[in-house]
Amino acid sequence: MLIKTNREIPSSEITPESVYVSRRKFMGQSASAAVLAGIAGSAYGLPENFVSEQGFAKGEPIGEKITPEEYATRYNNFYEFGTGKEDPSKKAHVLTTEPWSLEVGGRVGKPGKIELEDVLKDIDLEERIYRLRCVEAWSMVVPWIGFPVKKLLERFEPLGDAKYVKFTTLYRPKEMPGIRSIFSSVDFPYVEGLRLDEANHPLAIFSIGMYGKVLPNQNGAPFRLVVPWKYGFKSIKSIVKIELTEREPRTTWNKSAPHEYGFYANVNPNVDHPRWSQAQERRLPTTIFGRKIETRMFNGYDEVASLYEGMNLKRKY
Amino acid sequence: MNAVRPSRPGPRLAWLRSRTAKWIVGILLSIPFLLLLNDVRIELVQPGAGLGPDPGEELVDRLGTWSIRVLYLTLLVSSVSRIFRVPVLIQHRRTFGLWAFTYVVLHLAAYFSALAGFDFNVVLSDFTKRPYIIVGLSALCLLIPLAITSTRGWQRRLGVNWRRLHRIVYVAALLALIHLWMQEKATFFDTFLYGSILLILFIERLVDIVRRKRKKSPTAKAVEGTT
Repeated sequence: MLIKTNREIPSSEITPESVYVSRRKFMGQSASAAVLAGIAGSAYGLPENFVSEQGFAKGEPIGEKITPEEYATRYNNFYEFGTGKEDPSKKAHVLTTEPWSLEVGGRVGKPGKIELEDVLKDIDLEERIYRLRCVEAWSMVVPWIGFPVKKLLERFEPLGDAKYVKFTTLYRPKEMPGIRSIFSSVDFPYVEGLRLDEANHPLAIFSIGMYGKVLPNQNGAPFRLVVPWKYGFKSIKSIVKIELTEREPRTTWNKSAPHEYGFYANVNPNVDHPRWSQAQERRLPTTIFGRKIETRMFNGYDEVASLYEGMNLKRKY
Repeated sequence: MNAVRPSRPGPRLAWLRSRTAKWIVGILLSIPFLLLLNDVRIELVQPGAGLGPDPGEELVDRLGTWSIRVLYLTLLVSSVSRIFRVPVLIQHRRTFGLWAFTYVVLHLAAYFSALAGFDFNVVLSDFTKRPYIIVGLSALCLLIPLAITSTRGWQRRLGVNWRRLHRIVYVAALLALIHLWMQEKATFFDTFLYGSILLILFIERLVDIVRRKRKKSPTAKAVEGTT
């Protein structure tokens, strides 16, 4: 299935943890030039050449045209930076993403804080070419770079009663003008969630890069979720906190308009959004009179269907 | 305040009466349309360059925005003519109103072609199932009789009733605001902006009615304003 490429840095050469810890305090002392190389002045969450340095397994083509990079990086919903599609690409560069740490807690055996670089230290990165279907009825095809969600979660040893995973986006009003807006009708920080078995599905990934590079800020740098069978808003960006819970977490859009955005938010052409049909989608970029394409159940990822056996997806939308 | 306020004549601005002035107003109001047309042209030549990655949505959106803007501008014309006592402005209200109607019709046409793709089933289900579309469509329907009766001939024929009929514009203006509000997702900025404008326009009219009622009672002849 996945073919590993030769990685340029064997894991034996990766900086030992003790050095990492001291480097937190004295950036200048870093032992790993490769990791530091792109930091200065970068608008990226990780050193700009991080992905190429670490290497990744090439993704399998899906027989659909990949959306040109300039569209995927300039047409974004990231309301922390404004509600316009171009706001994130114009305003997200001020976000400081280095250093970045994740807090993992809740129903896990080993809760704690972990630096992003430590997360990635012994992870094999892989490319996944996924369809991205937005709840607004447009879609793209994006080559993400990341690793399965499961790989990170199991490190923290989920307890038997953990049923859900709650993700939280960074909340930093100073750098996020959308949070400061008095007209905003959604609550920040942004929260999303999955059932634990959904999160553990091999298709669900954490992403740190796209188009062979690290994620630009507007796409959720430095660390985001990608769940290709669900509407895009489930794929939460710039994650700082992961909690395992017994109860279904209250998620941002679900709280803001429960009749429009369900907790599950599986792509489903048979369940309309109250304001528009979900039967078709506009594959971007499209032309003015471009034809729409049919939306597929689970965005075409039928292999997840077993997760929802016996569930009424019209009610659990 | 003294009730017998001398009806001080406002600035003359005779040139506003001219045919040229009418043309200028018309041309100014057509500028957003011409700019959009140019973007459509660029878009057709080089997809993505004129209207971005989702051009159909963008086109419908921009026409919708200009619809509400020009509609509210039309209402503003009467207010300005009263506040600054330049009745001559009223002569230009028709041009504003007809352009507002034009943007609304173009907005609908763009929806039909770019979003619904002339698919009758899509249109039918939208018109029956989507409340915000029903509200917007109602606003458009209400504007049709106003556009038709906007001519001098109809004005004469309908007499007092013409003004009564054209009060429908307030219902349309309110529906347009609701249409906008129902589509807002994460921010209420636009609703707040256009809502405030409409509120001010309504308040000005209320004040005007009250003032005229007061004026009528003692001596002054009823200087009938306009709606």
